[in-house]
Amino acid sequence: MDTVLRQKRERNGVSFINDLLQYGVSSLSLGGLYALMALGLVIVYGILRLVNFAYGELVMVGGYGLLIFGETPLPWIICAVLSILAALFAGVLMERVAFRPVRNTSPTTLLITSFAVSNLLQNIALLTVSPRPRAPRLPEFFVKSLTVGDLRIKLADLIALTVSILALVVLTVFLRRTIIGLALRAAADDFTMTRLVGVKANMVIASAFAVSGFMAGIVAIFWIGRTGQTYPSVGLQPVLIAFIASVVGGMSSLKGAVLGGYVLGFLTMGLQTWLPQGVNNYRDAVLFGIVIVVLLFRPDGLIKPAYSREAR
Amino acid sequence: MSRAQVTMIRRFSTPVILFGIMLAIALISELRNDVVFERVVTVMFINLLLTVALQVFQGNSGLGTFGQYAFVTIGAYSSIWFSLTQKQKRTALPDMPRDWWLYEQHLGFIPSILVAGAITTVVGAVVGVAFVRLRGASFTIATFAFLIVINRVALQWTQLTKGATTVFGVPKYTEIWDALVWASLGVLVAYLFKESPLGLKLRASREDEDAAESLGVNSALVRWFAWTLSVFLSAVAGALWAHFIQNFSPHNFYIKETFLIVAMLIIGGSGSVSGAVLGAIAVAMSQEGLRQVENWVNIQRGRGTWVETVVPFQLVGFTEIIIACAIIIVLILRPSGLTGGREIAWPRVKPVTSLARPSDDSGAGA
Amino acid sequence: MSLLSVRDLKVNYGAIQALRGVSLEVEKGEIVGLIGVNGAGKSTTMLSIMGVVKPISGQIDYEGQQLLGQPPEGILRKGIAPVMEGRRIFPSLTIEENLRLGAASVKAKDQIEEDLLKWYSFFPILRERKAQPAGKLSGGQQQMLAVARALMSRPKLLLMDEPSLGLAPKLVAEVFRLIVQLRDLGMTVLLVEQNVRMTLDIVNRAYLLSTGRVEFAGTPDEIRKHADLERAYFGSGSGRGHSPSSEAGA
Repeated sequence: MDTVLRQKRERNGVSFINDLLQYGVSSLSLGGLYALMALGLVIVYGILRLVNFAYGELVMVGGYGLLIFGETPLPWIICAVLSILAALFAGVLMERVAFRPVRNTSPTTLLITSFAVSNLLQNIALLTVSPRPRAPRLPEFFVKSLTVGDLRIKLADLIALTVSILALVVLTVFLRRTIIGLALRAAADDFTMTRLVGVKANMVIASAFAVSGFMAGIVAIFWIGRTGQTYPSVGLQPVLIAFIASVVGGMSSLKGAVLGGYVLGFLTMGLQTWLPQGVNNYRDAVLFGIVIVVLLFRPDGLIKPAYSREAR
Repeated sequence: MSRAQVTMIRRFSTPVILFGIMLAIALISELRNDVVFERVVTVMFINLLLTVALQVFQGNSGLGTFGQYAFVTIGAYSSIWFSLTQKQKRTALPDMPRDWWLYEQHLGFIPSILVAGAITTVVGAVVGVAFVRLRGASFTIATFAFLIVINRVALQWTQLTKGATTVFGVPKYTEIWDALVWASLGVLVAYLFKESPLGLKLRASREDEDAAESLGVNSALVRWFAWTLSVFLSAVAGALWAHFIQNFSPHNFYIKETFLIVAMLIIGGSGSVSGAVLGAIAVAMSQEGLRQVENWVNIQRGRGTWVETVVPFQLVGFTEIIIACAIIIVLILRPSGLTGGREIAWPRVKPVTSLARPSDDSGAGA
Repeated sequence: MSLLSVRDLKVNYGAIQALRGVSLEVEKGEIVGLIGVNGAGKSTTMLSIMGVVKPISGQIDYEGQQLLGQPPEGILRKGIAPVMEGRRIFPSLTIEENLRLGAASVKAKDQIEEDLLKWYSFFPILRERKAQPAGKLSGGQQQMLAVARALMSRPKLLLMDEPSLGLAPKLVAEVFRLIVQLRDLGMTVLLVEQNVRMTLDIVNRAYLLSTGRVEFAGTPDEIRKHADLERAYFGSGSGRGHSPSSEAGA
């Protein structure tokens, strides 16, 4: 009897560590995706003060890209890269057509324009592609799991984790080492001054949207990989998460966006793992409640703006 | 007559003129004796109330909010908790426990609306306390997230809302005249608020928050007032709509609907109550026209006429696309909307263009 | 032909006439001063030349080319670099990043590296702190950075807007010394300032701006003799309602 109890206690101890590791991996993976989503939003907001509702539709473009390219005989990895490029290009195009004409208006006007663009794109997708959810071709690893001892980790999670960290590294290098990257950071500090050192305004803004689209494209692959489907309003959930993550982290900094993303990832997985079953349905409400409490104490987000912004 | 007196008359004239326009439309509907048109007008009045409610907050504070329909949801559902008899509740809200206090409640139509408004206002006031301290972008995002959350909660809470499935069997209490009366009251309240000291303070802090604060304006507080008032009006509209459409689910109170009201306000001009009213009328009428065009095209395509070659696909969401384009065009060309932020008033006066006298060229000091 | 020629510039901010017809010339190799009290229109003139503010009428020519209508980034690429009022360095970028961005218009990489070394030796404090965020610098250090950053684009004409503002007297003297050094290196400078005394000590010529117009123009001696100036600035009770400028030097 003692042996059985001891074994059971040992197993529980091990399973707790297992749970924790599982939680860690899936949180880092989800948090990584959330961080990328938030980054794509904040990089545009920092320069233009534009909260881009249509950012979700860039994810939608990525999703439909995956669908359309997936129907060709190209290897999947090429399809993935192409769909990321499609989202990137869509971001740049969106800025050129819809946002440039309203570039110097009030933040509220920008916001509502983006809301209108978002609606427009969704309805165009509804009209031209299909209102029904479609399943793009996905490689096998999205459903496989890796077993390490007692641990079962979804391969997709591991890959998402790796890719998101890689993307963050690439972005950091880009922002620190290239002139365009410097220009983006400077534009968030003082856009007019950036032009006064000779940087072309259009190039900076287009680059910001390109980064935004790039992030959306990566997110699209893993997001749709999780659910297996793409549809016109597929971008709603990611953009909402991007919003909340950046508000929590502090919309004034890229670091804040990343932090907000990971915090949200850990919170979400935490609630999913440990909330009692009945309440789990209200997980979003609980999450949101926590966010509101955070905002009550820190209305500017977790990371305060380091320097006051130039009044435009 | 002095200029001051003229201004007074002009200020009184705005709500009167707006009411007159709305009354005229209602009368036309009565005369036409067209059931479809009457439905369109009734819905238009309810949406007008919503647009005006949005104007109360967004027009005066300059802050974009997407949370309105969260409160429409609460208003709609809470109104039926009170307006339905127990028998009706058994059909409409079959999951509501029979031993709940709510189950036993039964009030008349107007008391139900007011109670629904009160409940929603309490919720709105509480979240408003947290929200009004947020700055521009964070605020808007928080309101949007709130809409999503309330929607999710409504989809889950089957005892109160029948979850994701459609509530049906709500009695049709809202007729065109109910909608007109409540909408007109809304217009009056919105106008009075805008012209009141509170409204003035809010608009001052919209223009320049620091300057207003230095004059003793508590920006967060005045914003909270506008927010709470807006919530109440939205809830009333929700209650009216529930008793008009008779069947609904949380899916009817979401982003598409939010977008429509935003469109109405922007196209009309968010700076004035007249803008809200005219925008609602303009968009509602255009929407109806577009819907008829959409139907006609789809029918013609079905019949295989020449239309099919011109329009090679079924028109879905055509109206929404046009409205989205309309908003974008307005924002690019005339962001202040059709009314340009001004109220309709009578008599008309020439606006004061500038205080500087252009002939003064001596440069010897301002 | 003058390096920079501004003719009859008129700028409105809404209903307010900020510039009512300003004309000035800057010859190569000069330091030209633009002096006047707050609100006289000095910064507005600067911002118009840099393309940040759009005049309603007038002409701005640089080396014979029209500047009006060009975007700020285009004007910098023509060889006019601004040192803005309040320094406006990029606070979240390091000193070195600020400088490199100053060379954003320069294609030749070796030129950039060469200039970095040059200005680091000219301003040793910048080299010491080159990896620190520029927001942590003191006012005087930020001023150095702003000047060095502008110089990274190898401009022919430097526009300086109130470089002495907010600086301690010792630093102000250093800044003015720096401007003279720059002229000796072949730079042309248009200097906007409220510190009249020190400005007149270093400029070749100056324009006195008042309520959007050029009141008077001439050499420092001529300006010093100008009666209005004495009354307004050196305080003999003019009754014209001008506030005396802040005497941050001498």
